[in-house]
Amino acid sequence: MLELVDLSKKFKQIYAVKNLNMFIEKGEIIGLLGPNGAGKSTAISMLTSLVEPTDGDVRFHNKSILKKPAPLRAVIGMVPQEIALYDDLTAQENLQFFGRIYRLKGAVLKKKIDEILELIGLTDRRKDVVKTFSGGMKRRLNIGVALLHDPEVIVMDEPTVGIDPQSRSYILETVKRLNAERQMTVLYTSHYMEEVEFLCDRIYIMDKGDLIASGTKEEIKRILSAEKTISIKADRFNDTFIDLLEQNPTINRVVAEEKEVTIITAKETNLFSDLIKMAEDTGIELNSVDVKTPTLEDVFLHLTGRALRD
Amino acid sequence: MIGILLAKFRMFIRNPFVFVLFTGMSIGFALMVGGTGGASTIHVPVYAEDDSVKDSFIGEKLKTNEAYSFNWISEEEMKEQISNGKAEAGAILSENDFQIIVGVDSANASMIEETIRGAYVEKLRQEQILEASNAESESEKEKVLEELEAAKNSPAFTIKTSSLGGSDTVVYDNTFHSLFGFTLFFVIYTIAYNLLPVLIEKKDGIWDRMILSPVKKWEMYVANLIYSFFEGYLQVLIIFLVFRYWVGVDFNGRFAETLLLLMPYVFAIVALSIFLTAVTKTVQQFNAVIPIVAVSMAMIGGAYWPIEIVESKILLALSKINPVTYGMEVLNGTAVYGYPLEELLYPISILLLMGVVLTGIGIHLMERRHV
Repeated sequence: MLELVDLSKKFKQIYAVKNLNMFIEKGEIIGLLGPNGAGKSTAISMLTSLVEPTDGDVRFHNKSILKKPAPLRAVIGMVPQEIALYDDLTAQENLQFFGRIYRLKGAVLKKKIDEILELIGLTDRRKDVVKTFSGGMKRRLNIGVALLHDPEVIVMDEPTVGIDPQSRSYILETVKRLNAERQMTVLYTSHYMEEVEFLCDRIYIMDKGDLIASGTKEEIKRILSAEKTISIKADRFNDTFIDLLEQNPTINRVVAEEKEVTIITAKETNLFSDLIKMAEDTGIELNSVDVKTPTLEDVFLHLTGRALRD
Repeated sequence: MIGILLAKFRMFIRNPFVFVLFTGMSIGFALMVGGTGGASTIHVPVYAEDDSVKDSFIGEKLKTNEAYSFNWISEEEMKEQISNGKAEAGAILSENDFQIIVGVDSANASMIEETIRGAYVEKLRQEQILEASNAESESEKEKVLEELEAAKNSPAFTIKTSSLGGSDTVVYDNTFHSLFGFTLFFVIYTIAYNLLPVLIEKKDGIWDRMILSPVKKWEMYVANLIYSFFEGYLQVLIIFLVFRYWVGVDFNGRFAETLLLLMPYVFAIVALSIFLTAVTKTVQQFNAVIPIVAVSMAMIGGAYWPIEIVESKILLALSKINPVTYGMEVLNGTAVYGYPLEELLYPISILLLMGVVLTGIGIHLMERRHV
């Protein structure tokens, strides 16, 4: 249905997106995963015809939309990363405003507003000014606005940034419902791998403007089939311990945080006794050593050597 | 477009504080700096070496002047007042000559000189007429003077010079200057801060939503232009109405014309604000640039003081590309000098040209989008 073909965007001398190839079929939930600055927002700005690519093409039903974006714009709903709402208007007034710009009027608009408020759980707050809303409520209304004209495709750019776990869960469930009940196609960008893992059928992973992996969750995790992830926890670590881990030839990657060190090693390697000895030699009192099932986070770590939220 | 305008007006009604603040400040400053009523008189200290000058024709003539209040004091006091800045200029008068002492080289200094010279010229003429009449006795001289006065009261034709300050000479009027200056100055803020939401809407993605909707780009721009113009003009209207009907400034009978001819200025400032919105990338940049631009434009354009007292060629050259200069020209020309429309076509055309050019450049720059 929607295709990005060798899509690139260059700002001055820097590529924000480089040779991106993607496709989205009707009814799918596609995840676009990557850390901040990976090029996700630029990619979806080009996909939605808001930004002209430097190279490549965007095709909707096999037709380029670069010169004639109207057919795509008519069926697309956009949820920007920022709260794209008028703070001084009420929830209902915001929906009225955005409904009117989509040429909805009278009883049709009223019915649609009621339906959206119900869907996003803000019916009882409809007459409250947006600036009095919590972050989660604003995010829900931000999504609601994009649904007013019954889009076939909804593009969500990090829609859960900075909100509480309940609101996040509500949003994720809403996205699932939209997909299941209305067969809405969803492109969901995030740097929270657990959201993408929960929602998406297929995933594209970007880093520094490049597409570094793509496929279903299982296909991507299979990248790590020859490796395993070990999580080591302690109250504190020191540089000597980290150095020893990094110098160990059987360890492929080391990511150190304050109270947790994650290492990736070959599946057949048994490092348990070595790790205990290294800890003893460097004066580290270990709390736990766990072998984890590979996650998308681990895949990202494997591919880039960095954690997703670096 | 109607939807965008409705939303803007709704937000304005819900949050009118910036508008009220700038309108209030404009009225307040104009009242404080310009005084509250009609023509104000300017204090001019004068000293006469010979006391008889005070009671002579010169003294009487200066006493009846409407624009300036000539106060007779000692030479030391006069010099002190001028050096302290309490008076812009003063004069040392003798029987047949005078000397002007200028503290601040302002428009008033030359006008004071003109007024005093006028009195001496009139005295000289009177003496020449008396001499030509061959009147010898005091009673004959008085009779000639009476006839002269009668002839002056019923002249064959009338030449009338007038100004806001009095009917004797052209005077720079502080009330009008402050009213016009502060109105033109503060309306820059009101209009600019009405276009600031465009920057915020772009950053927050509201514009992206509108671009993806069936709303046309031109509708988005026109709605914002109309709204900013409306608010800017509403502010000017309120300020002028307050001064016309509350303070009692009569705009020399050209109130409606003054309001009408202000439109090109408001348009030019809307265009300038679009341009500034386009060249600044963030709200912080915009907030930093607006006061700098507004204050420097007001200074160079003669909103704070008359442009006539500026001597620097660079500043005068800059004033030629400044909408405030032409706005002041239009307002002074209409209300103070009573120029007909043809005389005002030049500043009006420049303002309209600025409006069109800056709108074009501003929209073009805004369209060069960055992610």
